[in-house]
Amino acid sequence: MYSIEANQLTKQFGDFTAVDHICFEVREGEIFGFLGANGAGKTTAIKMMSGLLLPTSGTAMIAGYDIRTQSKLIKRNIGYMSQKFSLYGDLTVFENMQLFGTIYKIPRKELKERIMDSLRELDMEKQANTLVDSIPLGWKQKLAFATAILHRPKIVFLDEPTSGVDPIVRREFWKLIYLAASKGVTILVTTHYMDEAEYCNRISIMAEGQIKLIGTPGELKQQMGVDTINDVFVKFVKR
Amino acid sequence: MILKKEFIHIIRDTITLSLVLAMPIALVLLFGFTISTDIRNAKISVLDQSMDTQSKALVDRLSASGYFQVVSYPNNELEIDNDFKNKDIKLALIIPPNFEESLSKESTVTLQVINDVSDLNVASILNNYVRAVVQGYASDYNDQITKSTSSFDITVKMLYNPESNSVYMFVPGIITLIMVLVTALLSSITLAREKETGTMRMLLITPVKKLYIIIGKVIPYMIISFISTIAILVISVTVFKMPINGSLLMLLFLCIIFMLTAASFGMLISSISRTQVDAMMITMMGLFLPTVLLSGFLFPLNSMPMVFQVLANIFPAKWFIMAIKDVMIKGSGFFDIWLYLAILFGMAVVFIIFSISRLDKRN
Repeated sequence: MYSIEANQLTKQFGDFTAVDHICFEVREGEIFGFLGANGAGKTTAIKMMSGLLLPTSGTAMIAGYDIRTQSKLIKRNIGYMSQKFSLYGDLTVFENMQLFGTIYKIPRKELKERIMDSLRELDMEKQANTLVDSIPLGWKQKLAFATAILHRPKIVFLDEPTSGVDPIVRREFWKLIYLAASKGVTILVTTHYMDEAEYCNRISIMAEGQIKLIGTPGELKQQMGVDTINDVFVKFVKR
Repeated sequence: MILKKEFIHIIRDTITLSLVLAMPIALVLLFGFTISTDIRNAKISVLDQSMDTQSKALVDRLSASGYFQVVSYPNNELEIDNDFKNKDIKLALIIPPNFEESLSKESTVTLQVINDVSDLNVASILNNYVRAVVQGYASDYNDQITKSTSSFDITVKMLYNPESNSVYMFVPGIITLIMVLVTALLSSITLAREKETGTMRMLLITPVKKLYIIIGKVIPYMIISFISTIAILVISVTVFKMPINGSLLMLLFLCIIFMLTAASFGMLISSISRTQVDAMMITMMGLFLPTVLLSGFLFPLNSMPMVFQVLANIFPAKWFIMAIKDVMIKGSGFFDIWLYLAILFGMAVVFIIFSISRLDKRN
């Protein structure tokens, strides 16, 4: 059973084709990396898959729902975290999680338990009543991730979740991703960091709106005859 | 929930909050006291060429009105000229010889008024005051001698604002400005801020209805603006003795409808702007300036070129000012102003629908 099935997914803005007939599948519980230079079409693809943007042609099934007709059901079943830190700075950690939890209609009592559980996982219980603006960026990113999976979505879209974060926090962040994936959450992540790409189960490399390469990190390295994903990317760009 | 969050935003942002609450009060006081076009105790000279009982009665009446202070009694017109130069008088009144006699015999008596028109506004206001006083005098005189003469047949009829009290004109205008400023500007900025920080996309990706996002943002600012409005009304009534001739409930209802219109206009602006600065500029240029210029608040609409008169119709402020003046000054009720209310409400609905449809396009 696939969590994500994109079929000839296309988005045009005027004459410009941002996403050009992409096809791929992601299995349940898989960590799928979305690589590519800026402007390659990653963000547009994610927007379509999360129900923010209607495709020009083609379609995709997200958690078994059609993005064209069932965007409401999709919204209930996905989580999202963007490159820009996107919680409210003038709300406390707890208030932020409460806000998003309430929007997803998690019952009040259960919500409180879930928030405390996830804060415990993050080791941030003491910060529950701190304003989000006053905690370090790395913690904010972890918090944003925890908030994005609070309603237990089937799929989480992470749009460059670790940009601007130091390597130690990045590693911790990936631990959280693995933890979520081990619970069966499908994760689609875009990143600039090639070392992070190695952590993914499978990756795809996009350019000019098309998926040029797709496979496990090992397969891609073998295919291009290099040792690291970074080299794969460099060689691919030169080609 | 979004409502609650929005309240927290506002309350935590103490600078904005105190600004929003204090500004209206400061503005009303500022406008009320400084831009007031009322003139009290203007210095005048009276050249009384008859010096009889009636002419003295007229002069007494002028001084008693409170508008004028007679500072000198020149003997000829040359001296009047000197008074203008040296005594800083604003106006001189010349009463013709044999005033009393002509009053009883002739049908028309001519009084001459000489004005310092270096300040056109002051001059025309003082002229009106003189007319009002003289007319009052004339009607009393006619009553006294119980026969109808047509002397001083100056028919200046000042309805609703017999003292030409400018506060009456300014208070509705200020209420409008405040409401536009607080509701439209702040609500447009708040939505644009969410776009800037990326939280808007977070919200849009959740299953929450777009209408709720908009309503959740509109209501808190309406409430704040409502508090400001009440503060303005209290000041206008207590400090400036502004009457509220219509029903207070009607007035508040009207204000709520206008706030809804203003807030939804704010939403509309923020739905087409990408950043807070954009939103602010568009609100200032696209809403605030037209409100000041085209609402009939400072400049009378019917003396404008046709194009602007037509243009004024698309800004909510014009309709609101007409309605609020009717309610406050004329004491109109619901059936007199329902059309204005309907127009304002209709605008709000159109703005909200449009901003909802624009909401996801930019994200």
